[in-house]
Amino acid sequence: MDKREYKYIGKSPDRSEGLEKVTGRAVYVHDMELPGMLYAKALHSPFARAKIISIDTSAARALPGVKAVLTGEDAPYLVGLYMIDKRIIAKDIVRYQGEVVAAVAATDERIAEEAVSLIKVEYEILPSVQTIDEALEAKILVHEDINDLEYMKGVFFPQKDSNIASWNKTVRGDVEKAFEESYLVVENEMYLPAAAHTPLETHAAIAQADPYSDKLKIWSSAQSPFAVRQLMAKSFGIAEADIQVIIPYVGGGFGGKAGIHLEPLAALLSRACKGRPVKYAATREEEFNQLPTRAAMRGRIKTGVTKDGKIIALKVYYDWDSGAYADYGVNVGRTAIYSGAGAYEIPNVEIHSRTLYTNKVFSTAYRGFGHLETHWVIERQMDIVAQKLGMDPYEFRMKNILGPGKTTVSGEVITESTGSPSDCLKAVAEEINWTGYQREEEREIQKKRGKVRGKGLALLHKAPAMPAFTSTASIMQIDGDGKVKVMIGAIDIGQGANTVIRQMAAEVLDIPLENIEVVWESDTQKNPYDWQTVASKLTFMGGNAVIKAAEDMIRQMKEVAAQVFRCDASKLTHGDGYIYHVHHPHKRLSYGSLARGYSYENGNAIGGVIIGRGTYIADGLTNLDKDTGQGLPALVWTYGAHGVDLEVDLETGDVHILKVASAFDVGRVINKKLTEGQIMGGVLQGIGSALSEGLKFNAEGKLLNPTFTDYKIPTAKDMPDEIVPILIENPQADGPFGARGVGEHPMISIPSAIGNALYDALGINFYKLPLNPENIALEIAGTQAP
Amino acid sequence: MLSKFDYYKPASLEDATKYLNENPETKILAGGTDLLIGLKNKKVRCKHILDIKGIPELNKFTYSEGRGYFIGAAVTINQISEEKLLREKYPAISQGADALGSYQVRNRATMVGNICTASPGADMAAPLLVYDAKVHIASSQGIKAVDLCDFFTGVKKTILNPKELVVGVSIPDVEKGDRSVYLRKSRIKGADLCNVAIALRINPENKLSIALGAVSTIPMRLFELEKETAGKDLTPELVDWLATQIKTYINPRRDSIRSSPEYRYLITGVLAKRGLLKLIDKEGA
Repeated sequence: MDKREYKYIGKSPDRSEGLEKVTGRAVYVHDMELPGMLYAKALHSPFARAKIISIDTSAARALPGVKAVLTGEDAPYLVGLYMIDKRIIAKDIVRYQGEVVAAVAATDERIAEEAVSLIKVEYEILPSVQTIDEALEAKILVHEDINDLEYMKGVFFPQKDSNIASWNKTVRGDVEKAFEESYLVVENEMYLPAAAHTPLETHAAIAQADPYSDKLKIWSSAQSPFAVRQLMAKSFGIAEADIQVIIPYVGGGFGGKAGIHLEPLAALLSRACKGRPVKYAATREEEFNQLPTRAAMRGRIKTGVTKDGKIIALKVYYDWDSGAYADYGVNVGRTAIYSGAGAYEIPNVEIHSRTLYTNKVFSTAYRGFGHLETHWVIERQMDIVAQKLGMDPYEFRMKNILGPGKTTVSGEVITESTGSPSDCLKAVAEEINWTGYQREEEREIQKKRGKVRGKGLALLHKAPAMPAFTSTASIMQIDGDGKVKVMIGAIDIGQGANTVIRQMAAEVLDIPLENIEVVWESDTQKNPYDWQTVASKLTFMGGNAVIKAAEDMIRQMKEVAAQVFRCDASKLTHGDGYIYHVHHPHKRLSYGSLARGYSYENGNAIGGVIIGRGTYIADGLTNLDKDTGQGLPALVWTYGAHGVDLEVDLETGDVHILKVASAFDVGRVINKKLTEGQIMGGVLQGIGSALSEGLKFNAEGKLLNPTFTDYKIPTAKDMPDEIVPILIENPQADGPFGARGVGEHPMISIPSAIGNALYDALGINFYKLPLNPENIALEIAGTQAP
Repeated sequence: MLSKFDYYKPASLEDATKYLNENPETKILAGGTDLLIGLKNKKVRCKHILDIKGIPELNKFTYSEGRGYFIGAAVTINQISEEKLLREKYPAISQGADALGSYQVRNRATMVGNICTASPGADMAAPLLVYDAKVHIASSQGIKAVDLCDFFTGVKKTILNPKELVVGVSIPDVEKGDRSVYLRKSRIKGADLCNVAIALRINPENKLSIALGAVSTIPMRLFELEKETAGKDLTPELVDWLATQIKTYINPRRDSIRSSPEYRYLITGVLAKRGLLKLIDKEGA
């Protein structure tokens, strides 16, 4: 891509829907009321694993205002993204505390709640699988029918008679031989707990069934309308075309709304109520207890290095405590085998990633899709190895970092077009004035003040986790006044998709931003197809599709104009809303005059309605080899790095973050303000994972902190004193204007950078998240003890 | 499910106590920041709700020389936070108000509600305890005043009976040179409950008062520890002694998900030390 001045790309126009949102006019599913609408409430299992002996719904049914009560008997459907393993309502057995065992639709929420309280369930409590080790032991199977479950073959590998939903691996070179040849071998175990997405808007869905056919109409806060449609059609055994999914404004998703969740239950209730619309809006407690989370993970890592700091061997076992159903969890696990070595070139590698069933709330996609987790392990290990080598961790990273001509663990050769991790690392190191770990003497001087400062670095990379055939599309139509309406299939869940799509369309069409509207309220009956709103792929894939659609529209307008000017279309160009002759610029026609066909003075008309169409499919990707993990999984790598400067209170364990510098090779900035906003939001979300968040379960699998009282997310007061976003632009040859995605990346490696800074401050290595004041203070107190 | 209840908002204290007499299953509503959550998560059930915000005496927020402050039961935490004279005379109370919940919660929450909920970690409790605050309790029999240190009886339990309501809290006046500090430890910097809270006060005669929150079943005034410090000079040695000694007075929960007892022991000592050092510093200034 040339370096010409863009009119709209790289600028900072306001978020398109910003005014509607801040003035409260934007309508979300939570706000919606339909004529005759009923309200759903669910009864949840209080036990992690139990047999359902009996359910008595008679009292609930008898309550006036109750229109339907459903149990597992009424919902003989299995759903699942990659493993078809989950019932819409539990039947015979419950597999996690919080699982739906019955549901009610009633004329108002109070009656629905009262009806739920009248349902009597007799359970036989069963021993459950609560830990990674228990899952691996497989004395109890979370899914006794694991051998018979339907799943996506060739991509996921469930193991017979086990709790392993998928075991993916990468084997490259000869890792055992390389360990023998290593100067130093370092082994560690790291852990991080499950985390909640906590979107501002909890999940909500309204379903309206056609009582005379299979047809279903759904309004949902989902991220991926076409995925909801496809998964529901498969589960119910009906045609995709029979399901209409409409997505109004969405109050944040972070991956938690990427799949299919409340929609099928709302649909079954509507069917049971002869087609009255049924709304199921999750409470915050349901958001924590019933709806999916980010998996806990244990990483056991072993690194072999030469004396001069070259990594020659890496062996990792990533074990994901992924809860009762596979959902996205198996795909999260799969990412570990191609990106779980970090952005480094390592010749001998063995990575095992096991997504495990346990009797806990199930896991799904969460911003970063496994990378925050694997990078907690990798990037902490990088620092620990550097410590043992007596090397500066910056130098150690740079010595092994990926770059043009180097090969990833799945066998992909990096080029200039892939971007530069070293540019990112260098930029953040400079921004925080990294000069290496402080010396013990310096630390001791600081300790006398009661507070110690420390700095840390961490690298990151991520590519979209998507099927090799992932595609998206855009269509656009021009009005008689030259204004353009654009439709895409992906959803703006707050990430600013519609704003950047608008900028890209404006740039290609060369018309003002005000003349372009990306049509809100996505509807599978009208919008073109998109796989899913996930994977930080919208700017890249959606952008490419929109560019093609805009170019298609221009091509069509040129064809008509060529007839008018009696020239070849190749002599025509476009700008400022006109098609004009390159040599005779006065020969020009406005887009509006061509929008619905060109009319001559005598009324003759030629051409027709101009509709632009653009599609984009992930090209060149392959499945990964079952035994070696080799192949091409990555449409686009986005590299990044963080530098953290913090201060720790030696007595209380409080961490005060002075500065976070975050650099990403975004290829090309499309919207500077939105990109920097993504970075600041992601950094703070990463700080949550690093310092305070984490689900806590008791030994029986009961979630102990299902509210904001005890699940602590960072607030405005917990922001670092300063966040410095650094945008690096090494363009990607096939990216839209050279751009790459960066939506998820900012939260990845924040915990590891903080962990590394804590080492610099304290000389203590931390292996477990969260790094809350208590864990830090007790660790400090422990190391001081005689 | 939210219980069904009658709602009554009297305009006089007499009507309020009469209502309480007639309706034993009544919950009192001031700010509602605890009650509404209790109702919604079904931990509280009641047949009647008595909204006390319309009673004139309960909105009193007055200071008089020699008698000190009277803070009515309907006075919000933010009103207290914003009261300049109170901050000058009773810094620990203002600091407790600043730390409670979030700004939005403080707009609704009341100081009296905070002590009536009687959470062990109530932010207003320790500061009021070191000022020998009295709780004014009304019933159809009239009004009585009780020392706050005798008010709490257990986790979320007080001496109040169902026919009584708190009118307000009185805080004796302080002499010039009286100083105090409130320190707390929470998990994040933003809105959070505290794991440990301490209020320390030194009067012009150098008498030290100490109260703790969140480290036992009730917020507590440490009279015995205070006695041991009586007459001693405020030296760094005393600070260290206190920081160690104070730990023998606490009894943190073993099964709390908010904090381990080990951390609460550690932090109680740290906050005692820091609080006292702050007070000594101010003396020099």
